[in-house]
Amino acid sequence: MSLRSMDQLLALYYREVTKVYLSVFTLVVTIVQPLIWIVFFGSSLSGLPTFFLESYFHTNNYLSFLLPGELSVSSISMGMMASMSLVQDKRLGYLKRVMVSPTRNYVIFLAKVLGGATRGLIQVPILLVAGYLMGAQIAFSAYLFLWVTAVFLVSMGFSSIYFMFNATSADWQRPGLIMNLMTMPLMFSSTALFPKEFFPWWLKLISDVNPLTYLAELGRLALIQGAFDWTSFIALMGFAAFFLAIGAVVAEYKLTPE
Amino acid sequence: MRAILLENVTKKFGDFTAVDGLSFHVDEGEIFGLLGPNGAGKTTTIKMITGLLRPTSGRIEVLGMDVTKETMRVKERLGWVSSEVILDDDLTAMQNLWIQAKLYGVKNWKERAENLLRFFGLEGFKDSKVKGFSTGMRKKLEIAMALLHSPEIILMDEPTVGLDVVSRKAVWEVITRVNKELKVTVLLTTHYLEEADSLCNRIVIINRGKKVVEGTPEELKNSYAYDVIELESAVPLKLNGWDVIYSDGNKYRIRVKDAASVLPSLIMEVGPQNLRKISVKRASLDSVFISLTGLSLEEAGGIDERKLQMILRRARR
Repeated sequence: MSLRSMDQLLALYYREVTKVYLSVFTLVVTIVQPLIWIVFFGSSLSGLPTFFLESYFHTNNYLSFLLPGELSVSSISMGMMASMSLVQDKRLGYLKRVMVSPTRNYVIFLAKVLGGATRGLIQVPILLVAGYLMGAQIAFSAYLFLWVTAVFLVSMGFSSIYFMFNATSADWQRPGLIMNLMTMPLMFSSTALFPKEFFPWWLKLISDVNPLTYLAELGRLALIQGAFDWTSFIALMGFAAFFLAIGAVVAEYKLTPE
Repeated sequence: MRAILLENVTKKFGDFTAVDGLSFHVDEGEIFGLLGPNGAGKTTTIKMITGLLRPTSGRIEVLGMDVTKETMRVKERLGWVSSEVILDDDLTAMQNLWIQAKLYGVKNWKERAENLLRFFGLEGFKDSKVKGFSTGMRKKLEIAMALLHSPEIILMDEPTVGLDVVSRKAVWEVITRVNKELKVTVLLTTHYLEEADSLCNRIVIINRGKKVVEGTPEELKNSYAYDVIELESAVPLKLNGWDVIYSDGNKYRIRVKDAASVLPSLIMEVGPQNLRKISVKRASLDSVFISLTGLSLEEAGGIDERKLQMILRRARR
């Protein structure tokens, strides 16, 4: 990537990110939404008998189990914001302004997916602190940061998928539809909410190729045990790299200005 | 060298031919007008010149470079002002200019941006959010942004659509100054005939994607436009040998080449004592368009109300 492209990426990325911070409402809701999730869903199972929690979730605190899972799931939804921002730019013509300039399409693509992932990143420290205050186990180690990096990159991977669906379209309905389409099956076929021991065999198979499983498990390892699994980490990098590469190619050849 | 050259350019969207074998050129330093009703293919033509769309066939050159082959280099030399007002409302004028500067790799952008804002009388609003700008101010800021990287050519797609009369005149003045003082070649599209007439050195009229005629406004008026004399007399008239295009009772409309030179003989023929009223409508590009296509601009395409409202809504957001 040339110096020129870096400059262009910086400007477009700045524009994406300021949108979040300029709106107090957006900022507050981005933070409050996962908190609500944690508080309600986390509490719903917290009263389970300790022996059950330990044998089923391998922790005496469901919140400890849920927190990395929820943060992993949120990596899917952040891509929606990136592609809605793309739709908005198509509808208001801003994308034309950018595409008339000597900016390569993959730079536009990177700015969008980086912007979406950054949006998601705001939630991470808030949720970790809130979870900690509510009694979740959090091991503060370098692995924690590595895991957050993985969440960021997987967010970019998912954002790329959304981007591809809206590369040639300015249909505002698509981002929401795609989020619903991806979130439910990916969430329930992963170990983000429940461990896979009691999954039927076919769900286990899906769970084993589901990136959310790896992300959630890696998070649990890092947060609860202060340990890490490099194989999962590399697999997640592979997932992100694969979809980023496809997204960049789709952007280069297929992105339409409106 | 031609600033812009189109050779037999065609653009098809499926079965629909938006631009059909169009050829014209723009010389360096001139203000060139691409004139036609809505749906004539003006915006499609502009998009092909900027590289946003690829022509189905034909050749487009900008400053001697083939647009489809050297797209990035062409983009660096072109400025573009859209027909919609495209700015980021959440950002200030300077932030909008900053992004533009980064996209085009403009060095010392700040100085240049401030100079341009001063040139357009916007220096007092440089740190105000664009949200609060009037439509005229937005248009000026857009033109400033298009000029930020010192392009040799600026493309303006319907630069005055949706503006009130006062703002429209202000934008005309801006376009003339940009051309004269900053020495920028201007290609503009418009469906306002008087706009092309008062701004452009040369124009090409297109209809349904095809070139109808090309020339200076004067040439077109001389060869295709007629003056119309409207007169009302006290008695019925014969008017043999005159090209009467309309009559109603004792009211007549007569089409002539040059009203000024035939008025005396017409008055003599009618007889001054019979004359109640006489008026002259001077030839304009409107009459050129009518005599070439048989239709007025409104009849050929009209002002697209829906599109206009959309633009206004966006501009006021």
